[in-house]
This record gives sequence, C-alpha cells and structure tokens, in this order.
Amino acid sequence: MDVLTVKNLSVSFYRQSGEIEAVKNVSFSLRAGEILVIMGDTGCGKSVLCKSIVKLLPDIAKVKTGQIFFQGKEITDYSEKEMQKLRGNSFSMVFQNPMTALNPCMSVGEQIAEAVRLRQPGISRKDLKSRVTELMELVGLDRPGERAGQYPIHFSGGMAQRCVIAIALAAKPSVLFADEPTTSLDAGVQEQILELLLELRRKLGMAVILITHNPYVAAKMADRAALMRGGEIYRIGDAEEIFEKIIHNNHP
Amino acid sequence: MRKSYITIIHELGKLLLSIFLLSVLVFTMSRLAPGDPLYSYYGDQVEKMGPQEQEEARERLGLHEPLPVQYARWFQGAVRGDFGISYKYKTDVKEVIAGRIGNTLLLGGLGFVIIFGVALLLGLFCAWREDKWADRVVCGIGTVTSCIPEFWLSLLLILVFSVWLGWLPSSGAYSVGMEGSLADRVRHLVLPLTVVVLGHLWYYAYLVRNRLLEETRADYVLLARMKGLSGKQVLYRHCLRNAMPSYLSMMAIALPHILGGTYVAETVFSYPGIGTLAYESARYQDYNLLMLISLMTGGLVIVGNMFAKVINERIDPRMGLKTGGMSEEVKD
Repeated sequence: MDVLTVKNLSVSFYRQSGEIEAVKNVSFSLRAGEILVIMGDTGCGKSVLCKSIVKLLPDIAKVKTGQIFFQGKEITDYSEKEMQKLRGNSFSMVFQNPMTALNPCMSVGEQIAEAVRLRQPGISRKDLKSRVTELMELVGLDRPGERAGQYPIHFSGGMAQRCVIAIALAAKPSVLFADEPTTSLDAGVQEQILELLLELRRKLGMAVILITHNPYVAAKMADRAALMRGGEIYRIGDAEEIFEKIIHNNHP
Repeated sequence: MRKSYITIIHELGKLLLSIFLLSVLVFTMSRLAPGDPLYSYYGDQVEKMGPQEQEEARERLGLHEPLPVQYARWFQGAVRGDFGISYKYKTDVKEVIAGRIGNTLLLGGLGFVIIFGVALLLGLFCAWREDKWADRVVCGIGTVTSCIPEFWLSLLLILVFSVWLGWLPSSGAYSVGMEGSLADRVRHLVLPLTVVVLGHLWYYAYLVRNRLLEETRADYVLLARMKGLSGKQVLYRHCLRNAMPSYLSMMAIALPHILGGTYVAETVFSYPGIGTLAYESARYQDYNLLMLISLMTGGLVIVGNMFAKVINERIDPRMGLKTGGMSEEVKD
C-alpha cells in the first residue's frame, strides 16, 4: 500500500524578479516501509519537494498545482492546524546539519522530551523520562541519563545527528524525510548513521524518503530511486534497475 | 563549590579594579576640562575677588596641589566613605545625591522596567506578525515616536494635559506639603515617565523584533516545526530563549543610560533627579559630585554586565566556553 502519493506537484518561488519554478510536475508514490532515494544535484528541487509535502516552505514559495495524499487521504488543502497534527504524529524530518538543526540553548533531553510531549500530551513525568531514555538508546546514544542534560555544543556531529533522529522518532512517524542526513559528516560516521537508519526502518517499519547527491549513499540505501534534474523527476524505479542504467549509460 | 567561591572573588576583584581605573580616568578628565570650579562654589562673586583671594580659596578647597596629590587625597577619603563636599551645594556629596536618588530610582527605574517589559512584548508581537499589517502599523508608529524630540514632546504633553485639560501637574516631583502621598507622586510622574518611555521604547522593541526574526530563520526552527509546534509556539519556546542573551546584555548596558539619561525630562518638568545633577556637576566643575555620580553609574554598568553574563551562560552554554565560564561546566 502507498503511504504517500504525490501527483503533478509544481512549486514556485515568487520573487520581485519573477517566478522561479523549483519543482515541476512531479509525481511519485511511496510504499509503506520502503526507502525511496531522491537523487540529484544541488538546487534541483529535492529539498523544496520535501518541504512542500510537509508544508514548511518559506512564505515566498507556493504550491501551484498538484495533489498530495497521505494514507489515501488528500492532504493538499490541509489547514496549518491539521498539518501540525500530521507533522507531530506521522511525518518527521532529519536535516543536513545536525549542529544547526538542534536548538543550541536547550538541553538535548529537553528537545527530545518536547517532541514526545507533543505526540503524547498527557504523559506523566516518569513516563516521559523513560521514553526519552528509550529513544536515546534506540539511536545508540550511550549514558542517556547523563547525556540528556547536555547541550548540542557538547556533542560531536554524528552524536548530534543521532539526537535529531531521536527527535524524529519521538513522533513514531510513518514517513521519515531525511534531507542529506550524512552530507556534513565524515565517512566513518556517515556509515554509522546509514546503518542506524536501516536498522530503525527494520525495527519500526517506517517509510523513508532519503535525499542525497552521493551515489554511494543512494546505492546502499535505496529500495527505489528517483532521479531529479531542474525540478523534474526524469527517472524513477527500482533501485537496481535505475543504477544498472546509470552504469550502462555512464551518465547519471 | 570551591571553584565558585574563587570565581566570585575573582569577579569582585575585577569590579574593584574597574572602578579604580574609572575613578582615575574621570578624575583626570574632569580636571583637564576647561572651566573654573571656583565659579561653582562662589558663583559670580569670583569676579569680584582679587587674585590673592582666589588663590586662598583654591587652597581652602585643596585645588592648588598637583593632580596626583589631589587624587591621593580624594582616594584616601573615598576609601573611608568620605567623598568630599559639593562645591555648588556646599554639603557632603552623599547628602546631595541622597536627596535625589529616590526620585531618580522612581522615574528611571520605573521607566527602565516599563521600557524593557513593553519592548519585549512589542518585539514579540511584531515578530509573530512579521510583515502583516499589524507589524507594519506598529513599526510605523514606533519609528515616528522615536523620532520626536523629547523636549518637544514634553512641551506638547504639558500643553495638552496640564494647560488645556488641567489633569496633571506640569512640574516637580510632588506638591508642597504632600510629600508622603503616593497618589500625588504618581500624578507628578505620569508626564515625565511618558517622555522617558517613548524616547527609548521603540529602539529596544525594534531590536527585539529583528533579533527574533533572525532566530526564526535558523535551522532549528524547522526541526521544532516538524515536531508539530505552531509558528507561535516555536517563537515563544525556542526563539525567545535564544534571543534573550543579547537582550539581557543590552539591558545591562542601558541601565545607567535610562536611569540617569532622564536629563531632558527632568529639566523640562523641573523634576529633581540625578540626571540634571550629573549634567550640572560636569558643566560647573563640581568635581567631587561628578566623581561620585560617575562611579555609581560605572559600578552599575559593571554589576549589570556581571548579572547579564551569569544569566546568559545559564541560557546559552556556548557563552561560557571561551572564558571557562562562571556557571558550572557540564562534564563530558
């Protein structure tokens, strides 16, 4: 079954100098529990595509045409209130730079707890604490009791990215958007984070949309892959098939 | 625990050193400034005095000695709590200040609290409604009010509320014979306070607004929004906290500026406060008075900054890293 379906989505930025089409007539669907890799060069509209699905585009960007379905229900015209509920309960996102994605003035535990509390509003303090610990253990942060009181500045890039993932998982999401989650990390840490994502997908069964421009990451992670260029998806299909073609044509 | 005692002693040492340096600086500069302190003491009578008499007068006031000796003398007294006499008022400078400090604390202190309280609310409101009509209206009004000269606004307020409507008194801190009445004090405060507040408010509100807007464009806002927070909740829970350090530092620096910078309002409304006193002491070479006022304001800035620093390090752990931090470090 498809958890997420996007039909003919077009997104434009409106500046004084005119309209810039960032996403053009994009259609794809995401099956439950699969990892769909969206690949393309910088500026081809990958991130804008994700942000337009969760409706966190900047004010100057507008969805022009298209429909978005989540678990069969159309969410294209959802109000901000409805989207907030959806973001807190079904969608989550992991970002490129974990150091700036975390609030520098709030302890990591607090930031995870905030996400948990939004998902489970009436949760008791004791349960909250154990849930935070559980999430931190889930993403492989050691000594969670001590670590929870620390601030992002006390963490390395890879550790910080684990925190961001813990926050993302607090919502028990059906769809996880991972926007270049390993680009700012070094190779060894990149490997760990990718393994973590695979393991989490296996344990929790969420679907993942992974954005990357790194062919190695794409090949390692993808169940299916979509190739983007100039705001359009020009090829989409099973990973093996897509990468086969790339190798054959010697051309991305 | 031991570490925090050491930091407290360390900071106290820094405070005393800063005040000492400040006293040397103000002492030297006030004496280098042109003018004759004798005018402050004797008024126009100085012109009728012969050179011999002037010399004697100078000797009586201890002004004939070389600067370092004068400073040493002043310092000896200051350590014992004797800051000398005011040339103009011919009494102990502490008494001169004591008679007015209450008024200043009332006007400037209340002004300070109102300015920074309202500026924060206004800034928050404008940041929340960024570029919507409400924000634009507030910004427009704010810019206009901050451009109105204080003396003109004071006169306008006196004209409208004292002369035409007769609701509020136009001068003084209290009516004669009603020194103890709170209501009377408040009635006298309204107009000068309005001038003080309007003169500074928008500057700080605009600062808060822009600082918050800067924060709303940070990456962590997206993550917070993805948790399911609304834009407004992110503003209150995340951006406000992160903008607070710069605001607190601003407050610390502005403390004496607003507390003592009530000169125009004090002058126009004949309100007896420290602002006028400070201005006059510098203008008429009332050295001892000027020294004490400068040291008080200077001390206030330094203490204010120390408080801001301690609070800021509690809010933002990145701040303590360079200096080792005044607050307890988190062990890794």
